[in-house]
Amino acid sequence: MTALLLGALGLTLSLIVPGPLARAHWPDRAPAAAVLLWQAITLAAVLSALGVVLAAPEELTRALGSGKPVAAAALIGALAVAAVIVLRLLVSLWGVSRRSRARRARHRLLVDLLDRAEQRQELDAGHVRVLQGNLPLAYCVPGREARVVLSDGALRLLDREQVDAVLAHEQTHLRHRHEVVMESFTAFYRAVPAALRSRAPLDAVHLLLEMVADDAASKRTGPAPLRGALERLTDAVPLAEEVMPEEDSRRRRTARLAAPQRPSRMLTGAVVAAAVALLVLPTVILVVPWLGQALAVWPL
Amino acid sequence: MALGDLEREIMTVLWETYLPMTVREVHQELARERHRDLAYTTVMTVLDRLAKKGVVRQIKDGRAYKYAPMQSRAEMTAALMMDALSGTPDQDAALAHFVGRLPPEALRAALEAIQRQG
Ligand SMILES: [Zn+2]
Repeated sequence: MTALLLGALGLTLSLIVPGPLARAHWPDRAPAAAVLLWQAITLAAVLSALGVVLAAPEELTRALGSGKPVAAAALIGALAVAAVIVLRLLVSLWGVSRRSRARRARHRLLVDLLDRAEQRQELDAGHVRVLQGNLPLAYCVPGREARVVLSDGALRLLDREQVDAVLAHEQTHLRHRHEVVMESFTAFYRAVPAALRSRAPLDAVHLLLEMVADDAASKRTGPAPLRGALERLTDAVPLAEEVMPEEDSRRRRTARLAAPQRPSRMLTGAVVAAAVALLVLPTVILVVPWLGQALAVWPL
Repeated sequence: MALGDLEREIMTVLWETYLPMTVREVHQELARERHRDLAYTTVMTVLDRLAKKGVVRQIKDGRAYKYAPMQSRAEMTAALMMDALSGTPDQDAALAHFVGRLPPEALRAALEAIQRQG
């Protein structure tokens, strides 16, 4: 029974929940808590999968009433499958973070060399780099020696307040280590077999992190300059038809900045509670009682 | 002077001169045009580092080495911007953008459109 319930929970969390949650708009009012909820959902799904694998042999042998050698074989098989799942996740995480680090190091090297230092004198931020070029561009290179990169196309397009808002936004990504969150979701996405994987969590978390950065920036500069920067930068770069998801996420960010709502404490609290419950409840309700039975049967 | 600034200044000299330069020429140019009084060996070390990083090419010229940038400043900038804005989302959590990434075709179109304007 335990294996079945855990399996149902895992499938619900990985196949049914992400779609509606990604489409919902209430997370826009508590983006940081919503990121936590996505993390809890993902972790709980992984734990459920491991739970199924580990509980199955004991339950099977109990149901079939076979002897000890069969139970031992089933247990070893189950442990092997669980190990494969964990290993696959770890390898994926290692690969994603290694590739990201290499790409960042290369970027840092090149922006440092190409930097037009004379164009950023008044910005008085030591880690800002300015690239020559009309294409309006603003991004950050996370890491121990982080950089915020602007093109002079972006500097021409934005006024001083808007530049400050963009810098505050990027600094939030850097200070809160958002790249680590993105790396872990990317690693999870890549570890799931292609037929089962969904982009929904990855895209939703990405958008939520943008909102977290927007909120921190508008606390410093007010929402208007940030919204102005967002509009000017996207209007200057023609977005193609196929990037409608990006278009939609820009609309959601702009809408929040146009009509700023107070962050909802109640909503944040409820979402955090849900995230914690997701991680704790399956363990308490399903795994602990089962463990008592299993220890008696397992050929230890 | 920080190493990063030094590397940037030396790259700027190489980019602006266009022709491959010896260590001595780079050293002189820095002293004359940019009033940087650096040790000859410092310039040599930095050029070596830049060559190791793959941004500068070492050309053997008789008994001495000459140095030239791998790409012009404009080429390197365009390639970097291209790399910053492209990349499939699932393989990439490396950089955080203020506005979204573009698919390669849209990016090329955007780069061309903007280069035409400017
Ligand atoms: Zn951002």
